Amino acid sequence: MKIIKLQSLCLAAAAAWLAWCPAAKADPADASDPQVDMQIDDQPGYQPSAEEEQLAGPFERQIVFFRTTEAPGTIVVHTADRYLYLVQPNNRAIRYGIGVGRDGFQWAGIRKIIQKQEWPDWRPPPEMIQRQPYLPRFMAGGPGNPMGARALYIGGTVYRIHGTNQPQTIGHAVSSGCFRLVNADVTDLYDRVPVGTKIVVKQAADL
Amino acid sequence: MPISMPSTRYFFLVAASIFTVALAGCNANQPIDAGAQQGVPATPSKIASERLVGRWGVAAYHQDSARQRTEAEARRQCSNPYTIKAGQNGGVLMHLADQSEPQELFLKGSASGSTYLGPAGMAAVAADREIVAISDNSFTIKWVSPDNSSRYGTMVYIRCP
Repeated sequence: MKIIKLQSLCLAAAAAWLAWCPAAKADPADASDPQVDMQIDDQPGYQPSAEEEQLAGPFERQIVFFRTTEAPGTIVVHTADRYLYLVQPNNRAIRYGIGVGRDGFQWAGIRKIIQKQEWPDWRPPPEMIQRQPYLPRFMAGGPGNPMGARALYIGGTVYRIHGTNQPQTIGHAVSSGCFRLVNADVTDLYDRVPVGTKIVVKQAADL
Repeated sequence: MPISMPSTRYFFLVAASIFTVALAGCNANQPIDAGAQQGVPATPSKIASERLVGRWGVAAYHQDSARQRTEAEARRQCSNPYTIKAGQNGGVLMHLADQSEPQELFLKGSASGSTYLGPAGMAAVAADREIVAISDNSFTIKWVSPDNSSRYGTMVYIRCP
């Protein structure tokens, strides 16, 4: 009888440990529906693995059929769909999965790329400094920087197309109005797009 | 068909396995600072805590090539400075990594000559920063914890006028 009680105690203690262990709990930010806004903070310094950076399914970079009146070389963003298209000849486009502005931070318009930057620096937004006053107000660009490997600055706005160290945010509405791509994709786009490129930002595709 | 009861040894094995998995699961997602957690005995600091008190522009870098640029940026951040106040017990009021409230931290010397900034007690523990350079108008810290170091980099504090 004593042995059975001891066995029960061991199992109960093990179960209690599992329940307490913070790492064993599911991450509430792990949203599976790409159309749902994701509540996630920047993770300065976090360096994702190659597996994490490899997108799968519709958000993986791919050539798609794309009918548009825009000239080849134009960037077209469909915010609602979380896609960025680089228009190609013959009704084709290279499609990239992106993260977009969260509710209240989305926008639309026709602009131009005015500047390009490799490994851009990062400045935490004021609300983040308020929550985490110890954060550096400036973090030099490099691996682990939330701005990722490349940035394309959109003229007449405070917004950019940039990389990210949080590949899990692709397909979600998480940013303050910028468009984020995984580092491999933003590097690919950066190499294809010169300064002066036209960018058309739409909420949804034209029907 | 007779159903045999599991042996006592079986129960202990199951319980031990659950413990092992639970421990491994916890450790998998938490920073490992094996050496740093223990630290070294603290000796009196050669740096006076008053030298850290004031308003500071703060910036960080991960690669040494960015240091000069980072220092210049830290200087520009005085419009949004980080304020360090004197504590009641001879320390300074600052935040530990990932803590939203400041607490009194202390400068701690060590036999190696390095100076650490962190909670009272042993030096070079995971919560500490190491003061790697200091002058009248600036100081530079590196986090002891590899996890903190990876996330926040080397931080440069430039005194604001």
